[in-house]
Amino acid sequence: MMVSCFSRIMKFRVLLIVCFLSVAFGALAYTPSTGDLNVADAATKTRLEGGKKLFKSNCASCHAVDKDLTGPALMNVWERWESEDKIIQWVKNNSSLRASGDAYANKIFNDWKGSVMTGFPSLTNENVIDIIDYVRAETANPGFLNAGATAPAVGAAVAPSGTSSNTMWWLIAALLAILAYGLSVISNKLKDVVDEKEGNFVADKRTALQKIFTPRVKSALKLFTILFLGAWLVKSAIGLGRLQGYQPTQPIKFSHQLHVGQNKIECQYCHSGVEKSRHAVIPSVSVCMNCHKYVQKGPKYGKTEIAKIYKHSGWDPEKGAFVNAPKPIEWVKVHNLPDHVYFNHSQHVKVGGIACQTCHGNIQEMEEVKQFSPLSMGWCINCHRQSEVQFANNDYYSIFEKYHDDIKSGKKAKVTVEDIGGTECQKCHY
Amino acid sequence: MTEIRYWKSLAELNETPEYKDEVAKEFREDIAGLDLVDEASKAASSGRRDFLKLMGFSVSAAAIATSCKTPVNKAVPYVFDGRDQIPEVVPGIADFFATTFFDGTSFVNLLAKTREGRPIKLEGNSLSPLTKGGTSARSQASILGLYDVSRLKGPTKGDKAISWDQADKEIGAKLNEIAAAGGKVAILSGTLASPSTKSAIEKFKSKYPNTSHIAYDANSLSAIRKANASSIGGSFIPSYDFSKAKVIVGFNCDFLGTWLSPVEFAGQYATNKVPTKEKPTMLRHHQFQSTMTITGAAADYRYPIKPSEEKLALIALYNAVAAKVGGSGLSGAKAYSNKAAIDKIATELAGAKGSSLIVSGTNNVEIQALTNAINGILGNYGSTILGRAMNTKEGNDEDFAKFVSDLKAGAYSGLIIYGANPVYNTSSGNEVKEAISKLKLSVSFNERADETSSLAQYICPDSHYLESWNIYEPKSGYYSFSQPVINTIFDTRQAQQSLLNWAGEKISYHDFIKNQAAGWGNWESNLENGFVETASNAGISCNVGAALANVQAASGSANGMELFVYEKVSVGDGSLANNPLLQEMPDPISKTTWDNYINVSYSYAVENKLKLWLREAPIAKLTVGGKSIELPLMISFGQPKGTFSVALGYGRTKAGKVADNVGGNIYPLISNGVYSADGVKIELTGKFAKMGMNQQYSTLQEDNNLPGKPRRYRNGIIKEANLKQYQAKENAGNEDREEIKKHLQTMYSYHPYQGHHWGMSVDMNSCIGCGACVVACNVENNIPIVGRTEVYRGHEMHWMRIDRYFSGDPDNPDVSFQPMMCQHCDNAPCENVCPVNATNHSSEGLNQMAYNRCIGTRYCANNCPFKVRRFNWLDYQGNDSFGKWNDYDGATYMFEDLTRMVLNPDVNVRTRGVIEKCSMCVQRIQEGKLNAKKAGRPLQDGEIKTACQTSCPTHAIVFGDMNDGNSELHKSFFENERNYHLFEELHFQTSIGYKVKVRNKDEEPAFEFAPVMDEDNKEKV
Repeated sequence: MMVSCFSRIMKFRVLLIVCFLSVAFGALAYTPSTGDLNVADAATKTRLEGGKKLFKSNCASCHAVDKDLTGPALMNVWERWESEDKIIQWVKNNSSLRASGDAYANKIFNDWKGSVMTGFPSLTNENVIDIIDYVRAETANPGFLNAGATAPAVGAAVAPSGTSSNTMWWLIAALLAILAYGLSVISNKLKDVVDEKEGNFVADKRTALQKIFTPRVKSALKLFTILFLGAWLVKSAIGLGRLQGYQPTQPIKFSHQLHVGQNKIECQYCHSGVEKSRHAVIPSVSVCMNCHKYVQKGPKYGKTEIAKIYKHSGWDPEKGAFVNAPKPIEWVKVHNLPDHVYFNHSQHVKVGGIACQTCHGNIQEMEEVKQFSPLSMGWCINCHRQSEVQFANNDYYSIFEKYHDDIKSGKKAKVTVEDIGGTECQKCHY
Repeated sequence: MTEIRYWKSLAELNETPEYKDEVAKEFREDIAGLDLVDEASKAASSGRRDFLKLMGFSVSAAAIATSCKTPVNKAVPYVFDGRDQIPEVVPGIADFFATTFFDGTSFVNLLAKTREGRPIKLEGNSLSPLTKGGTSARSQASILGLYDVSRLKGPTKGDKAISWDQADKEIGAKLNEIAAAGGKVAILSGTLASPSTKSAIEKFKSKYPNTSHIAYDANSLSAIRKANASSIGGSFIPSYDFSKAKVIVGFNCDFLGTWLSPVEFAGQYATNKVPTKEKPTMLRHHQFQSTMTITGAAADYRYPIKPSEEKLALIALYNAVAAKVGGSGLSGAKAYSNKAAIDKIATELAGAKGSSLIVSGTNNVEIQALTNAINGILGNYGSTILGRAMNTKEGNDEDFAKFVSDLKAGAYSGLIIYGANPVYNTSSGNEVKEAISKLKLSVSFNERADETSSLAQYICPDSHYLESWNIYEPKSGYYSFSQPVINTIFDTRQAQQSLLNWAGEKISYHDFIKNQAAGWGNWESNLENGFVETASNAGISCNVGAALANVQAASGSANGMELFVYEKVSVGDGSLANNPLLQEMPDPISKTTWDNYINVSYSYAVENKLKLWLREAPIAKLTVGGKSIELPLMISFGQPKGTFSVALGYGRTKAGKVADNVGGNIYPLISNGVYSADGVKIELTGKFAKMGMNQQYSTLQEDNNLPGKPRRYRNGIIKEANLKQYQAKENAGNEDREEIKKHLQTMYSYHPYQGHHWGMSVDMNSCIGCGACVVACNVENNIPIVGRTEVYRGHEMHWMRIDRYFSGDPDNPDVSFQPMMCQHCDNAPCENVCPVNATNHSSEGLNQMAYNRCIGTRYCANNCPFKVRRFNWLDYQGNDSFGKWNDYDGATYMFEDLTRMVLNPDVNVRTRGVIEKCSMCVQRIQEGKLNAKKAGRPLQDGEIKTACQTSCPTHAIVFGDMNDGNSELHKSFFENERNYHLFEELHFQTSIGYKVKVRNKDEEPAFEFAPVMDEDNKEKV
């Protein structure tokens, strides 16, 4: 009787520890995305899907739903503004709204250190409302929200898995631990009472802690510690070599914010390989000289930085002629893919029609370039799962007859990159 | 369908216990490679301690390596002079430039593929009317010659480096000194086949008129010119057109591998080698040979002869043909033993007057005159033999003999060596060596300090052909250009430029050839095409009487065992020996790498009770006329009784890290220009050599030999029929396929293949086994070179191999070649067993291999019925961060940073511990698809070509999309009754199809059980 009772209590304790640890693990574990909208009404669903797409292609490079990126988190944006109309005005042309003297618009502008949001005059009022509703749905439904956050366009949101939810998990774990301790004390007491009644009472000289940490519990703890550390090791190992946010100092303080954001120079003007080759191409110093023969002074650094271009190109601004042999500028590479990954810019930009900002972030606002996306395999794969192939407009895809039929018959809404083998190993590894 | 017995090796033929043992195992465990880890730890007494040490080291090393900071990578853009236009170079996109490969034997029009300015691959130039896009193993491998670290880094004087200015000054002074004293200067070269180089030499001669230019070939054919002087009234080699020949008779003439212009000839030959529904005919090819070559393997009938019998056979053939078509006979000759064969051939030749061809590769005036006479009476001149001179062999044996005696007599004061290496590749080596030291001036243009150059006072290294301008004239009136595709890597200068400088000409060689090409149309478009043709064929006729006047029918006899010396398809005459790609390319027949050896016949082995072996060969001493050499013995099927044969081109001593002391040099044992000898003796030394051989036993799982069923000998892997059977029934030899297809069932679902479904078809009729594809695959896919020891261990890394099967009489077998690469099975046995899903199936039918996922269990290799999966046992590419611990053999070749420039940037370099295999050139597939997508159009058939396909001189390989109903592949697979798939009855659903080999034989293929050696031979050595 005593033996069986004891073992029952032991089992109970082990069970409690298992509970505690699995909850703790839960805090570490990756939460998979659901990917689908939990909206029953088909029309709303389509509208929200549209909003999601608009959000991804227009907003996601600067905004996330649940946290601040380059721009503020969009969660509850409808509560912050006095009316929907104001939001629409802001999205379409925020500078005119600010000029009109709108208090909140100016507050936001100042809060965000005067960084200018790109205007979206091409969006209709309905578009903006769809986006807001999508954000609303995201906020309401955490699963839905996760799907949005791990979307490729907002790659930044992938890496740090929500700190707030982690704390909650830890709290639950701690509560359960306390509960476990309390229950075990109670059950011990009860056992003592029963034993005393039956006359089997043997005084247990162990302290409360000793009673909990019996050899079996200890070995179980050891096992779980090892597993826990192992999981941690694997998790950190996966992160090795990932350099999201990497922002090295460049030999010349070239500002994308100035050239792209302000002067509106097309990306392809300098990165001329982006539609032809696997490399986007870092421009030769002679490309810089096309303009800087004439532009001899910058707004921020005056002549100092431009003088570096002259030095490398062998240009003498006084004489207005090339006098020395050119030397290359040794830029520091920001986006580094491992050697075993084949990535081709032209496939994504020319064929896929993907904007530079989707992967490189809000480059037109970067004074110095930093790595915006994690460039991890999961990030690539997620995008390949969700991105739609430009199926109808490109004759290359005419061979996929079945998919064309499926689209016609409505069996398939869209063909994703994954459908045509975009997640297979040898798409990128060979 | 007749059951035929095929075998790969001696041991397999005789089913020795060792063979059975080897076949039963998947990997050779005794030599698996772990012994390499630490020889010392093996010797140490305590294994446990060493294990702990090793483990401690590994763990700490791994810790150090992983704690390193992420490296800072630089992105350095191109620099263009702001004054110039920016050239159209887009990083990441390859540029192609037409150029020309010529190694003194084979000529190939090429396109050099460059990426970011560095040449990485050579492709055939499909515009060329000569080579038609075909290439050879040597031309494919020549890309690595550019990055050869054994090349000289600049001009040298003795052992010291000097500047070009100093060299020019000193050499100029000495030349003037010699000229003032009335001394003579000799320029010794190999075949130049270059009018521009010859003009440069003329310029030099006009400054120093006492200069003579002597050309000789290490593997000479100067007897053809000599015989032709009387036969066709011109001392030149005519052009041959094998595509017009219905009957071809070859006498020791390896025209598909090494004779005159093999790539051109192979292309012509293959046009009539493939019977189709529309044209169910084939050429008939007879070959008399003193060793087995790929040409012999391609022949329908093959007759092993001793070198001394060749003349007798030709006389017999001449007489037999003359009796049929009219002509005076030759009398007084001894009778040739195989009269039946001669009569048969004569009848066929008489039936194909004007469309037959008799060729001989023997450097003997009488023999060449006899072939001329037979071609003459058959009226082949003007149809299969054309009047346009061929310049790929320009050497003159008599000139060279005179040069050697003059040199010895002190007639020359100066010697300029240009591409020649007489100390190594002639039997006059020692005489030349002695004489060079006595010269006032000796200069070499050779790219390395080789056996001859190292004796010269000055070496003014020539640039590699990919760094050079040149015009070649392989055929008169056909000019082929060479243009630099990269700046000179070392401080080298073109030999022609040196000659022009010393002649006092103030012109660059580029301008010099541009002037020469002035009358040939637009210079730039010619350069873009790579060639220009200014003349077509000239008339030719043969004076049979004059030809026969050369022949002394009664003379000639040989005694004892005879030696035949031949050239291998891979290293050739030895000038390209320092190329590890060629050294590691298995000989098409012996499947041996990194060696030459004495081929002995099967009968000889039986009679002399030579021990059988799998990978170790007894070393024998070969003695010819007092000189001897030690080489391993190789029991070779098809080697004629009473003969031995040895390959040229090995035994280099100063070629570089790769070739030095590989094999033995046979040149000193034979007379110059005579590639056979009699009275040869061999004796066993009792030593054994570990040979780098592959395919000695099962590289392909044996046929499905089910218990209770009759034993099958690889039937179903090789399928063959004769032409008559094919004409009667298109699926001859392939009859079982119909039955097999009825029983195909699977418990797995079929892959849907919505878009593309890639496949490849290999025609075993046009495949000649030359190995160009193997080398092309190596270069394209960054396949490591492993060295002889590793090949011996069975660790060669080739993704593609050419399986060679014998059948019939072991002394004169039929040969079948079967290019073997990953079969990309739709029901792939490898995919199911991978524990980490590193190998899996793509939606386009490719069997994918993700190297970074592979953990090296080798289950897939174990389960692959084709044995095409290769495992990186060691760090062959030297990319291991822990350095060069496995430095041995030639394997470290890729450890040089310079050599790594050849690597294809679109293909991964695999590390130790992972499996790799043919990817069907997925990088090319992706590139082709992307180009189509960018243009927004459907992919065209033939737009994507794999590396093996583009390299093939006979276009035996077709790659394409099975789902494209109009593709050539679709036709090959579904409209050609010859098509079959390997192990189809096991339902692997392979994506590679083979086409039944059809031989133009009168006899039907029959099962023949070879004589089995007696028990003594079967002992394991």
